[in-house]
Amino acid sequence: MERELILLWCAISVYVLAGVIAIFGVVLGKRPERTVLATLIIALLLHGISILMRWDRLDHGPYLTMFEILSSNVWSLLFLYSIAYWRYRPIRPTSAIVLPLMFVMMGWLMLSSPGEGHLPPTYDTTWLVIHILFGKVFLGSVLIAVGMAGVILLRRYKLGTHRLSRLPSDQRLDDLAFRFMALGLIFDTLMLIAGAIWAQDAWGRYWAWDRLETWSFLTWLFLAFSLHLRVTYRPQPVRDAVMIMVVFLLAFLTFFGVPFVTTVPHQGAV
Amino acid sequence: MTMTQQTANGHFPREQIYRIRAGVWHALVRMGSLRLTLWLFILFALCIAGYYFGGQQHNGLIITPLLLLSLNLLATIATHTTFRRQVPLLVFHLALLGMLLLLVLGRLTYLKGEAEVTSGSDFEGLLNSIDAGPLHHWPGSKLHFHLTDFSIDYAPGVQRDATRAQVSWQDSVGNTHQGIVGDQLPLVLDNYRFYTTHNKGFAALFQWHPQGAMAQAGSIHFPSYPANEYKQAQSWVLPGTRHEVWSQLDFDELILDPQNTSQFRPPVEHQLILRSGSERHLLRPGQTLQLAQGRLHYQGLGTWMGFRVFYDWTLPWLLATVLLAVLSLGWHYWVKAAARPWLNDEELS
Ligand code: HEM
Repeated sequence: MERELILLWCAISVYVLAGVIAIFGVVLGKRPERTVLATLIIALLLHGISILMRWDRLDHGPYLTMFEILSSNVWSLLFLYSIAYWRYRPIRPTSAIVLPLMFVMMGWLMLSSPGEGHLPPTYDTTWLVIHILFGKVFLGSVLIAVGMAGVILLRRYKLGTHRLSRLPSDQRLDDLAFRFMALGLIFDTLMLIAGAIWAQDAWGRYWAWDRLETWSFLTWLFLAFSLHLRVTYRPQPVRDAVMIMVVFLLAFLTFFGVPFVTTVPHQGAV
Repeated sequence: MTMTQQTANGHFPREQIYRIRAGVWHALVRMGSLRLTLWLFILFALCIAGYYFGGQQHNGLIITPLLLLSLNLLATIATHTTFRRQVPLLVFHLALLGMLLLLVLGRLTYLKGEAEVTSGSDFEGLLNSIDAGPLHHWPGSKLHFHLTDFSIDYAPGVQRDATRAQVSWQDSVGNTHQGIVGDQLPLVLDNYRFYTTHNKGFAALFQWHPQGAMAQAGSIHFPSYPANEYKQAQSWVLPGTRHEVWSQLDFDELILDPQNTSQFRPPVEHQLILRSGSERHLLRPGQTLQLAQGRLHYQGLGTWMGFRVFYDWTLPWLLATVLLAVLSLGWHYWVKAAARPWLNDEELS
């Protein structure tokens, strides 16, 4: 276990390094993009090995304790973000927004206990894994949109107008961000379906409005609302950006807030 | 008061028909407003919050906004050209409506129940509790299976792991099948799904010989174990009489070890304390007790398993409909994204 933790702390230090380089890049008007990407890849590799070692030791995936949930989500979110970063150059400076956001999760991860949990029989199913994977893609897509929404919002301030001028226009960012929100809706829907199939097998009901189900449905509804609002009123990018932030906040609270406080059987180990 | 004018041959004048049509269309257009959809989304979210915080008792809080959203959607489909131009989007919204219809049908015909079955005996259609839709008809003894035995693994800390129950049943042609069922692996009989649960315990097996009547075998289920570890007692009535007896299971053995892995099983050494009126008796397996009402032979201690029964014929259809919804949503966004490139020339350079 010690080796796993050492690897994890190393990975977190390298993530932080990537974030610092990204922020300095934007502030100083430089483009250290390759360095950021390389640093991110190294951190992902270290972190990935740490997760696999724990997986092998405990013989179950990283979705039982808060420590595991946070660790696997930091990895999956940054993995998806890195793919977007690699494939989609115009949005690379958004890393100066996304990485600091991830520092919050990393801080929480460092504070949570790395102890082991017991895998209940209801968690021993492939549907849980599918449910979790869809959830991760959903949150990852929204995170990428959040990076762009953050740029749109920061441009309202003096600091952002100048520093972020190299990025595409607000309109263009808004269009791109909502492509990722649409992807998010598809994967959120898939996550709910896989979750319902799992719940049917595990507890004999596909939906029961438990705390987590209620929150995740509200997140889904709000995501659908934001897409509808956009086609109905065609609001300004700033308003769209605020909507994206709200969806992310709701999703974040559902993923990490509800399992943190709930005691119901469906603990929300996503 | 206004009255509808009719022509001499009983037909409405054409103008009036046009006016009614225009009125209906106007109402539909207003009902199918996309702004209304947004308000209904907000209403739905508030109702869900109300339903959740209100202890999930007022089903109207879910049904009403869903009904309003459906009417709004139907009116939109009838009046908006968008849906004619974007077929995948139409399919997606129709799938949402289909889902809703199936949910309603499911609520009318579902069944959730619980049954306790003694190992080595049959389930014969008797449920301990039933929660069913108003149109459900429980087939009773037509549903039949035999529980041979079951095993449950426990991890240290008395944490329940896999449950495996061996069952056998006959299909409609009379062929016998055997299988293993668990908490997540149901036995499916006529679309009824039987799952094992955490609810299980010990069963005292008796042979009862009433005075002047045929002997019969039966079992008494003690309360669920280990949930009621210190309340292993049960009152029951001797069959064919009104005489109530009280029995308690007495053993010292550690069945589920908090320090180690273990298996659920009856204790090797035990005795039954049986109280009949003011008399108190101790019974060991194989012993017989003579009571005023008849002879009670204690065969030994077995186990019972609590099954969860679930029926909802809409499930596969519901799954197909939601998958159709996701596929059409993906299709819609695929078409939309393909219309404009992800990277324009300037960004590529
Ligand atoms: C119940 C009432 C509903 C009505 C009347 C309605 C109506 C519409 C209409 C007319 C459009 C096309 C807008 C346009 O392109 O101009 C649309 C788009 C859409 N609707 Fe709905 N809808 C309803 C419910 C829902 C729900 C519950 C969802 C849940 C996910 C949803 C998701 C969508 C999505 C994702 C789009 C595509 C938006 C885009 O292209 O970005 N709708 N809806």
